[in-house]
Amino acid sequence: MSGDARERILGRVREANRDREPVAHPGSLPEAAEPPAPLGETGRTDPVGAFEVRLRAAGGEVVQLANEAAARSWLDEFATGFETVSVCAGVPDALQPVLPAAPPEEAALGVSAAVGAAAQTGSLLLSSREGRRSQLLPPVHLVWVRAEDVRLTLGDALQSCREDLPAVLALHSGPSKSADIGQILITGVHGPGRIIAAIVGG
Amino acid sequence: MEVHSRDYRDRARRIITETPEVRESVTAATRTFVDNRREAFADLDEAALSGWAKEVKSHALTHLADYLEEAETRLVERGAHVHWAETASDVHRIFERIVEENAVRKVVKAKSMLSEELALNPFLESCGVEVFETDLGEYIIQLLGEPPSHIVGPSIHKSLEDTRVIFHERLGTARDASPEDLAAAARDFLRETFLTADLGVSGGNFLVAETGSIALIENEGNIRLSTSVPRIHVALVGIEKVLPRWADLSTFLQVTAKSATGQPVGCFVSIIQGPGGSAAGEPDGPEELHVILVDNGRTRVLADPEIWEALRCVRCGACLNICPVYRQTGGHAYGYVYSGPLGGILNPGLVGLEETLPLPFASTACGACADVCPVRIPIPELLHVWRRRAVERGLTGSEERTALGLFASAATRSRLFGWAENLAGVLPDWVIRRLPMLREWSDGREPPRATGPTFRELWDEGIE
Repeated sequence: MSGDARERILGRVREANRDREPVAHPGSLPEAAEPPAPLGETGRTDPVGAFEVRLRAAGGEVVQLANEAAARSWLDEFATGFETVSVCAGVPDALQPVLPAAPPEEAALGVSAAVGAAAQTGSLLLSSREGRRSQLLPPVHLVWVRAEDVRLTLGDALQSCREDLPAVLALHSGPSKSADIGQILITGVHGPGRIIAAIVGG
Repeated sequence: MEVHSRDYRDRARRIITETPEVRESVTAATRTFVDNRREAFADLDEAALSGWAKEVKSHALTHLADYLEEAETRLVERGAHVHWAETASDVHRIFERIVEENAVRKVVKAKSMLSEELALNPFLESCGVEVFETDLGEYIIQLLGEPPSHIVGPSIHKSLEDTRVIFHERLGTARDASPEDLAAAARDFLRETFLTADLGVSGGNFLVAETGSIALIENEGNIRLSTSVPRIHVALVGIEKVLPRWADLSTFLQVTAKSATGQPVGCFVSIIQGPGGSAAGEPDGPEELHVILVDNGRTRVLADPEIWEALRCVRCGACLNICPVYRQTGGHAYGYVYSGPLGGILNPGLVGLEETLPLPFASTACGACADVCPVRIPIPELLHVWRRRAVERGLTGSEERTALGLFASAATRSRLFGWAENLAGVLPDWVIRRLPMLREWSDGREPPRATGPTFRELWDEGIE
């Protein structure tokens, strides 16, 4: 049945377009039309700074850490606020908090490692290869990202993942929010209500 | 979904007179959307952006068959099942098989307007399956037994108080619970539901042909959960959702979010290439991904030489938010899935002009919708096409034809026109209220009054 439906739908689509002038693809978006990233010209040379502005504006938190040692000591302090953790596969040992492990649906904190980030939209790019549940179920989500992986535009960030796409590439660009109850903004509805981007290096 | 658009006038009248708070809620919410959108576009070249987006979507539509085949090939390579459905009953049969083969008992749903077209929830329930909407707004109106009132904010017509009442009844929250407590109660209930559901249903904002990717934009995280936690994910995708290239996606994600809510992008975006879990060598995610490519009237719209451009629509809702007519009633008056200016151009194409007749007329022709459309659909022109066809097919009322006929004969006879002008100036209200067409217009409004000398009198006197 589905096979016949396929042929009929594609047949109707081709018939509909038969006498229509095909429209050419306009190519890449002209640079002048690109939605600007924060900080203007400064943002071009400092995508990490621009990323921080954008993610903070959406209600996210950002911490910049010079190197792995600084990251470690920040993490030790940060982890004292939580009782349990669920860590995604692929987070380096040195960046895992010393906390009792719990399943993602019970953990107080989820930790993952982004495959990229975009300043233009304040987005962290997360791969399903590290597991999705720890990215989604705990109420607080800590995401490690390397400073050199922060791109200026979302297009560049997506392009860098193009050759080896996981089952799901997800963008997290702020805490979970909703205004569906009387148009009043609430955070932490289904996904994490706190997202912290910890940027290492740079 | 059953079509009730023919009752538009009665439904609109009832909403305005019996539930005036709907107008208040809808107007307040849409004004916020409009303000946020304006701010989001303030520092960028909107014309260049919408011009580019228009060309990409028109390109995709004029090469649609090839791109659909390309997307199908990519998805199958990644292990997805691709189904094609011409109608709602095709979709129902596909679901019936998936439900039977996998003994599905509980379904979580992410917001999908296409699933409303297909009346999916009642069908699944008739198969003995429990269905839970998980978008907070959709969940509220599911509890109330209502359809969505807005394609982006389905519960836009409901106040905090409305939600307090229904959550008190159904979830046992306090009668004066705070919005945060209400959201927490819904979250707790739905979290348990996510973890025990057998299958998740989503729509699809975009289908990228080059990579076979389904992209979904949201703010709550319920789409990510619906497409990640249950063992099976079924995505319903209208065939017009195609984007040609991976490189096109980043701009469309931004343009859609900016136009819808003024955000740079949604808080969560899922870009799905295939099933997850052991099928993909990944730690979790659905073992099965079914993608249903749905026609349901779209090829008919595509074949229409005057209306096909409506298929560029990215469902941002900007035309609803800006529309002075939509703001009076919200979406329920329109009697079908799509409301506002979008409903006026798309519904007649999808389900027929006869079934949806008043909708192309539910507009002041002010043109604000065309100004905000991120893919430059010439909405007022398309509304006019449907109006013209309605007249040509004799579908408009005899009163209107009589009134316009009278106007035409007066307007082409100078002396008669002058006489009629003077007459209009002295007719009492009760007569004007009985005149064809004016009667309908003045029902609920003050009838128009002619004041002072007519233009022709001024002309004859000479203007100083």
